[in-house]
Amino acid sequence: MTTESAHDDHLIETRDLWRTYTMGVEEIHALRGVTFTVDPNEYLAIMGPSGSGKSTLMNLVGCLDTPSRGTYVLRGKVVSQMDDDELAAIRNREIGFVFQTFNLLPRATALHNVELPLVYAGVPKQQRIERARQALEMVDLGDRAFHRPNELSGGQRQRVAIARALVMGPSILLADEPTGNLDSVTGDEIMRLFARLHAEGNTIILVTHEHDVAAHARRTIHIRDGRIESDERTG
Amino acid sequence: MPFKEAVIAALVSLRSNKLRSFLTLLGIFIGVAAVVSVVAITSGLDRYISEQVLDLGTKSFSIQKFDAVITSHERFLEMARRRDLTLTDVEFVRRRCDACLEVGASVETNRTAKWRDVKQEGVAVLGVTDNYNRIGSARPLSAGRYLVPDDVERAQPAAVIGADLAEAFFPLMEPLGKTILVGGRPLRIVGVAEKKGSLFGFSQDNFAWIPITTFRKYYSARDSVTIQVAAVSMEQLETAQDQCRVALRARRHLDYREPDDFSIETGETIMDLWQTATRNIYVVTIVVTIISLVVGGIVVMNIMLVSVTERTREIGVRKAIGARRRDIRRQFLVESVVLSVVGGGLGVVGATVFSMLLASILGGVMKTPFSAPIQLWAIVLALVMSTAVGLVAGIYPASHAAALAPVEALRYE
Repeated sequence: MTTESAHDDHLIETRDLWRTYTMGVEEIHALRGVTFTVDPNEYLAIMGPSGSGKSTLMNLVGCLDTPSRGTYVLRGKVVSQMDDDELAAIRNREIGFVFQTFNLLPRATALHNVELPLVYAGVPKQQRIERARQALEMVDLGDRAFHRPNELSGGQRQRVAIARALVMGPSILLADEPTGNLDSVTGDEIMRLFARLHAEGNTIILVTHEHDVAAHARRTIHIRDGRIESDERTG
Repeated sequence: MPFKEAVIAALVSLRSNKLRSFLTLLGIFIGVAAVVSVVAITSGLDRYISEQVLDLGTKSFSIQKFDAVITSHERFLEMARRRDLTLTDVEFVRRRCDACLEVGASVETNRTAKWRDVKQEGVAVLGVTDNYNRIGSARPLSAGRYLVPDDVERAQPAAVIGADLAEAFFPLMEPLGKTILVGGRPLRIVGVAEKKGSLFGFSQDNFAWIPITTFRKYYSARDSVTIQVAAVSMEQLETAQDQCRVALRARRHLDYREPDDFSIETGETIMDLWQTATRNIYVVTIVVTIISLVVGGIVVMNIMLVSVTERTREIGVRKAIGARRRDIRRQFLVESVVLSVVGGGLGVVGATVFSMLLASILGGVMKTPFSAPIQLWAIVLALVMSTAVGLVAGIYPASHAAALAPVEALRYE
C-alpha cells in the first residue's frame, strides 16, 4: 500500500483498475488493469472507440462508480474505498462534470443551475448567489442569469454547465464529449473556453472519440479493450 | 439540500404538472374536506340542539305513559298495557315531592282552529294546569295573561294562543277577547305568546293552551296525562325525579323487582339521543376519511414513483454534482408531503365553502339562523393527517430515488 505523502505531486494516481460487470452468469471486464497518473494543470484527452471502456474509466475517475479491483487515489485520498456519501462529497468538491447533453435542470434558471452544487455543499444563500454569478461571468453569461435552459442556445447551455462545473473550484474538470451536441462553430467556441480555463490553471480531462477535439489536449490516452493502448504527450 | 430549498423545488414541480397534481391530491382533498365539514356541521347542530332542546329547562322533567323514543313494536305494546296517568296521580305526586317546585299536567291533541272563514290546520291544543308556564322554559306573552287557577277549577273556555294563530286570524285586529273555534269548540283568547320560530322546520308557535279541565270536557276525558315537574333547583333535579318515582311506584303498589311502569323524560334524554346519533355520524366520517386518505396515499405514492422514474436523469445529475442519498430522499419526501398538505389545505377551503353553503341551506329549511363553524382542531387534525399520509406515501419512492446508482441514472433516457 502506498503512503499518501509520497504522491503529493500527483493529482490522480490509479493502479491496476479493474471494472467487472456480471451479466447473468457471464463476467464482462470493461477495464482490465489501468494504471496512470495525472498531474495538476494537465490537459488530458481519453480516447477510444465505443465499447473500449473509456466511459467506464470516466465514471471511475469522476467517482460516479468504484473499481472492482485496484486503487484510485485522488489528491491523496483513497477514493476506491469510499462509500456512497463520501463519494458524493468528493464529486461535489473535487470534480466538475460537463456532459454531452448539458444535463441542466430544465425548470431552473441558469443562476439556479449553477447554484446547485453550492446548495449541496451547504453554502449560505447570499454567498451562493455571489459565487454562481461569478462563475457565470467567467463563461461570459453574466447577462443570462435568469434565463431558463430552453431560452438559451446550445453553446450557451454548455457554458452554463461549465459554470456549474467550475463553481465549487474543483480539482478536475471532467468533460464527456462536450461538443457532441453542438455545431462545429459553437464546438470551437467551447474548446477555446477549455483552453482558456486550462491556461488559468485548471486540470481538464476530456473524454471523446473525435480526434479534432482530442487535438486540443496536451496529452492523449488511448483505450482499447479495457487497457491503455498508448499514452502520449502532444503539447 | 436545506429544507427550504426542497420545499421551493417541490412547489415548482407541483406547479409544472398542474392537472396531474390536482388529480393526485383529489383523494386527500375529499378525505380532509369530509372530516372538516362534517365536524363543522355536527358541531353547529350540537350547538343548535342544545340551545333549543335544553331550553326546555334544565331543572324540569316529565312523567309519561310512553317513552319519548320508542325503539320497537314490542316495546310499544308493552307500554300500551301500562296504566294511564291521571289528574289524581298528579295531585298524589305533588303532595309527596318536596324537591318539586311545581307539579302540573298536560294533555295534547291536534285540531283545526277557525276564526270566521279563516282556518289554521294542525294546531297543537294543550290542556294544561295553570302552573304550566312555570315549568320548563318560560314562554313570555306579547299580550294578555296566562291561565289562572280559576280557569282550571271552573273549566273556563279560555285560551293562550301562539303567534301563528294570532297572525293568521288577527293580522290587523286585537285578538284578546275574541272567541275562536278549535275542533269545533269555542275558546276565548286571554293571552298571546311571543313568537319563538321553528325547530327542525316545525313551527313552535302553532298552539293553543287551554285549561286541562276544559280539554277533558271538550275533546277527550280519558287520555293519559303527562305529569310536568319543575325541581326547586338543578341540584335537586335527581332528588325530585326519585321522589316522584317512589311516589308513583307506591301508589301503584309496584314490587321492588318490577320495573317502572311509566317513563321519566328530561331534556337530557333527547340530548343523549342526539349525541348517540352524532357519534354514529362521526364513526361514519372517520371510516370515509380513512378510506379516502388510504386511497389518496396510494395515489400519491404512485405518482411519486412515476415522478422518480421521469426524473431519473435529474437524480443522476444531482448526484453527479454532489447530492448525497439523504439529499435526494429529502427532496422527494418533501415533495410528497407538500403534495398531500396542499391537498389537505384545499380540503379545508372546500370544507369551509361547503359547510357555509349547507348551513345557509339548513338555516333556510329550518327557518332559523344556523351556522356551522369550522373547528380549529379539525383543521389541525386534517393537516396532521395529510402530512402523515404524504410522509408514509413518500418513503418508498424517495428511498428508491436515493438508492439509484449515479451511473445508471445518468444513462437513463
